[in-house]
Amino acid sequence: MSKKEYIKSLVKEAELYRTQSLLTESKKKYLQALQFIQKTQLFSNKEKIVGAIKNKIRILEKDQARITEDKVTPKLSKDVQGLIKRLFSFSNNKEAVRVEGAVALAKFGQHERALKEFHSLLNEGTFPLVSAKNIIRCHMSLKSPDAAINEFGHWVSGDLLSIRQLENIRVFLQTLLEKQGHEAKLPEVVEAPSQIPKTEKKQDDVIDICAVKLKLEDGPQKGNIAEFDVNFQSGNVITVIVSAQQKELVDTLTIGIQLPDMEFYSPIAIFRGSGIVFGKTQIKSGPKKGDYVLDIRVDSA
Amino acid sequence: MAIFNTRDRTIECRIVYYGPGRGGKTTNLEYIHRAFRKQTIGEMVSINTTGDRTLFFDFLPMGLGKIRGCEVKVQLYTVPGQIRYGSTRKLVLKGVDGVVFVADSLEVRRKENMLSLKDLQQNLAEQNKNIFKIPLVYQYNKRDLAEEGVPIMPVEVMERDLNSKLKIPSLPASAVNGKGVGATLKECLKLTLHHLQEELKWAVQDGL
Repeated sequence: MSKKEYIKSLVKEAELYRTQSLLTESKKKYLQALQFIQKTQLFSNKEKIVGAIKNKIRILEKDQARITEDKVTPKLSKDVQGLIKRLFSFSNNKEAVRVEGAVALAKFGQHERALKEFHSLLNEGTFPLVSAKNIIRCHMSLKSPDAAINEFGHWVSGDLLSIRQLENIRVFLQTLLEKQGHEAKLPEVVEAPSQIPKTEKKQDDVIDICAVKLKLEDGPQKGNIAEFDVNFQSGNVITVIVSAQQKELVDTLTIGIQLPDMEFYSPIAIFRGSGIVFGKTQIKSGPKKGDYVLDIRVDSA
Repeated sequence: MAIFNTRDRTIECRIVYYGPGRGGKTTNLEYIHRAFRKQTIGEMVSINTTGDRTLFFDFLPMGLGKIRGCEVKVQLYTVPGQIRYGSTRKLVLKGVDGVVFVADSLEVRRKENMLSLKDLQQNLAEQNKNIFKIPLVYQYNKRDLAEEGVPIMPVEVMERDLNSKLKIPSLPASAVNGKGVGATLKECLKLTLHHLQEELKWAVQDGL
């Protein structure tokens, strides 16, 4: 292959990669061609060819920058948002499906629609802690820390959430604010947040937990072992549903009770740890009416 | 996660097109949408970003009609191939029943193929799924580019890189002109429905 043919083949390759939108590969080939030409004395119109290739590289770099900088998530149509809700919710439980749909909307960057969904869930008392935390997450993703703080203040003065749930959300919000470099004095909950153990793990440190096993340390069922599937997880708080038929067990698991001997099952590992019953509500409507929703905070794992 | 409705005798499964960015996953779905009009039961949804790259996913619902006494519906998805969309890939892969791995035959994309396969293995493992057990088919795409004089990998090299351990079906293809697209989908569907038969016993008669 002559030198001219070699350069032609490099440029041809670079062009083809460009048409395939393989911009890095295209640039690499143009640079290879450029270096070869600059080393070669054969061409009378060397400057012109070098200029043309440099121009191609400039255009490629502009395209690369445009793609890298394009981080704006498009607002999707209502139909597509509805499709996302439908396609990415997998539970059999009607309430759980609604939460999963709203979480999927948030994950696909449709935060405004997700906010509406979570507000409606919270107002109905469906998975209040999960819904409230996701509302905070959505505000923070929308770069509206003030809205998150205001929302929290509104909850503190209302009765949608229990004291313990509010405490949990306060820590959660504070952590997010600090992560994003905001300083804010959040409204106090009745029980001062300083009572929350300093050793509490950061929310994101706990891996996804699918199921949990716990040994009952007190009450009439002392020594018994209970196992639950985890319906939801938000940071270090897991939510399980306990059948109304297990009322005796539910009564044992009072809010604030320590669970020192727990086993957590995740897709990648089984680990032991401890937790605390953080919230307990009875489901008031739907197919699971009468069952109990227990929020358990994983304290050490 | 396939849904088998015993009352209506319908089964709905999810097949995900996985692979490195710009490898031809969306082109596969676009071709299927055009060529298999009779089987598509809804519009194809594509959410793209700058440079026509898949941002979230593509979605194409299909109805294959009655197979072994059961109405079979398939949802086809693509994932975004770019490395930075890892969390979206995980979400789209959730509940997957079968995977088509679209590998790029271009020599310059050799490393990206292997990285994407590793990413698939990890994301499946997070769902408690084993890459050796899930119905999986390779498509060695862009074979047509050999005619353009661009270096592409011989099939043997791709087999050695990607298939020496998995030993799964692999098909050459040129998604841009539809070559091998239907055959790839058919192979993946065959494996997926077989696998689901073992799990759900959805077919009235055996011997798929």
